[in-house]
Amino acid sequence: MITGQIASDVTVATDLTVSASGLTKRFGTRAVVSDLSFGVAKGHAFGLLGPNGAGKTTTVRLLTGLLTPDAGAVTLFGEPLDASNADALRRRIGVQTDTNLYDTLSARENLRAWGALYGIDRNRLDERIGDVLGVLGLSDRADSLVGELSKGMRQKLAVGRAVMHEPELLFLDEPTAGLDPEASADLIGYLKEMIRSLSTTVIICTHQLHGLEALCDEIGMIKGGRLLTSGTVQDLLHARWPEHRFSLTVGGDVARAREVVSSLVGPGLEPGADGELAFVTTDAELVPAIVAALVRHDVPVKTVVPHRRTIEQFYFATLDEDGVA
Amino acid sequence: MISWRRVQAVIRKDWLEVARNKQVLSSLVVVPLVFAVLLPAGVILLGDSGVLTSTIGGMQGFLDNLPAGVVPADFTAGQTMIYTLIVYFFAPFFLVIPVMVASITASSSFVGEKERRTIEGLLYTPLSNRELVLAKVLGSVVPSVVLTWVSFLAYTIIVNALGYRVMGGIFFPTWTWAVLVVALVPLVGFLATSLIVAVSGRSTTMQGAQGTAMFVVFPILAIVISQATGLMLFDVTVALVAAVVLAAVDVAAFVLVVARFERERIVTRL
Repeated sequence: MITGQIASDVTVATDLTVSASGLTKRFGTRAVVSDLSFGVAKGHAFGLLGPNGAGKTTTVRLLTGLLTPDAGAVTLFGEPLDASNADALRRRIGVQTDTNLYDTLSARENLRAWGALYGIDRNRLDERIGDVLGVLGLSDRADSLVGELSKGMRQKLAVGRAVMHEPELLFLDEPTAGLDPEASADLIGYLKEMIRSLSTTVIICTHQLHGLEALCDEIGMIKGGRLLTSGTVQDLLHARWPEHRFSLTVGGDVARAREVVSSLVGPGLEPGADGELAFVTTDAELVPAIVAALVRHDVPVKTVVPHRRTIEQFYFATLDEDGVA
Repeated sequence: MISWRRVQAVIRKDWLEVARNKQVLSSLVVVPLVFAVLLPAGVILLGDSGVLTSTIGGMQGFLDNLPAGVVPADFTAGQTMIYTLIVYFFAPFFLVIPVMVASITASSSFVGEKERRTIEGLLYTPLSNRELVLAKVLGSVVPSVVLTWVSFLAYTIIVNALGYRVMGGIFFPTWTWAVLVVALVPLVGFLATSLIVAVSGRSTTMQGAQGTAMFVVFPILAIVISQATGLMLFDVTVALVAAVVLAAVDVAAFVLVVARFERERIVTRL
């Protein structure tokens, strides 16, 4: 279960790995995070989306106890986060931010230091380092100094460092920045597998939206320190764009095909040419009926293509709307 | 409770970084080389030729103000010069070695982490404030002490080997030096490092942090000046009193540094 906009007086569900309630942080008079409330349940991935300076990094620092909120509260693993338990709770957390690795240490030495900091057993450490480097495709660069690695390799190693101890809660800040599409897809695949096999809870802060649909159960949009909206990807997209858009490629009598489709979708039919018909409908279940009707009228249907809205479109639409407001 | 495994992990990482930084390594070698090799060798080889007293500031004043009974009565003028300089005059200079070494390593490992933007990663780990400060302090103090002890060994070998004929046998070290090397060197190094770590949260450059170590050098200079003016001789009593005072100051400094260590201040001033 994932919840958005948790009121401060509502009892937080016990299956939430992390929850923020009315979180506010000011630097001087400037509110960097303002009345932020959301929660993420065990084994779920939450995408915290927002432009640069939106307050994403400050949110991560608040959720990990590096910063103390001016108002509101954070609950981690069912415990209210405060100075007395922050160090202990951080043992269960992994964080990858834009902070740098140690350039004069090798990839293996960087991971070894982190493994020791998180208390990985000495006998298991080498095996774990080998596993992480292998999964990230860095085995052949294990003994290269980090300063000699490409930006993409360093990025992958930074994620590797954060997952060394198989954390229950993982914060990732722009994890795919600097990665080529293949490496990006591999990393998202690895994260999905980790979530599946270890029930890891993941919070991804990013404005790089490609591939997020495959990973995130829920997203929240933050701007100016305020959470503009949050919810499951499907619900948010459906709420903003209740209609579905499809295009059909047909053979034979196109005019007849337009009549048939128009009779079923009404004004949802868009002008088209060259045997292609595009239409919008709020009822996706209507598509099989349209295809069947076309076939009954001797109109061969070559392709049916659903045009799904993406998180990226939602992101820009929400930002535009907020800018107008 | 302190996790020594986490403390060791940070120390090992810091030492690896220092070992691979040629600039830092070369800086670490210069001061010990001057105080442990060049100066004592020069004193013994040049003897009472007058070159030393005219080139090293304060040395003539020190010789003129030397209290009676400090040097064996049967020593010649040349032997007196060598003995007093090697045993007394250079003693406080040896305290400068741990301060210099600790200031270089501590500023590199703490403010350097801020400059290289690696410190935030450490702050996200389970390291407690006490563990992080202890790791940074020990990671700097231990090499500074070891390097000073190696320098002391070199100093001992050089002064005895080169001075054996002139002095008529082995004449070094003395009890004052034993207290200095065993107690004062670690205590002074610890204090210098603690001060640098204390200002590291506010300082954004290594040079700025290193400047703080000068606060530790001032009392050492005061000892040098006191000796030069005949106000006080750095003997075993002074060394023991200094050790007791420093131990108390060190404990207070460490407690204060840990208490005033704020992650928030560090991450918001990166």
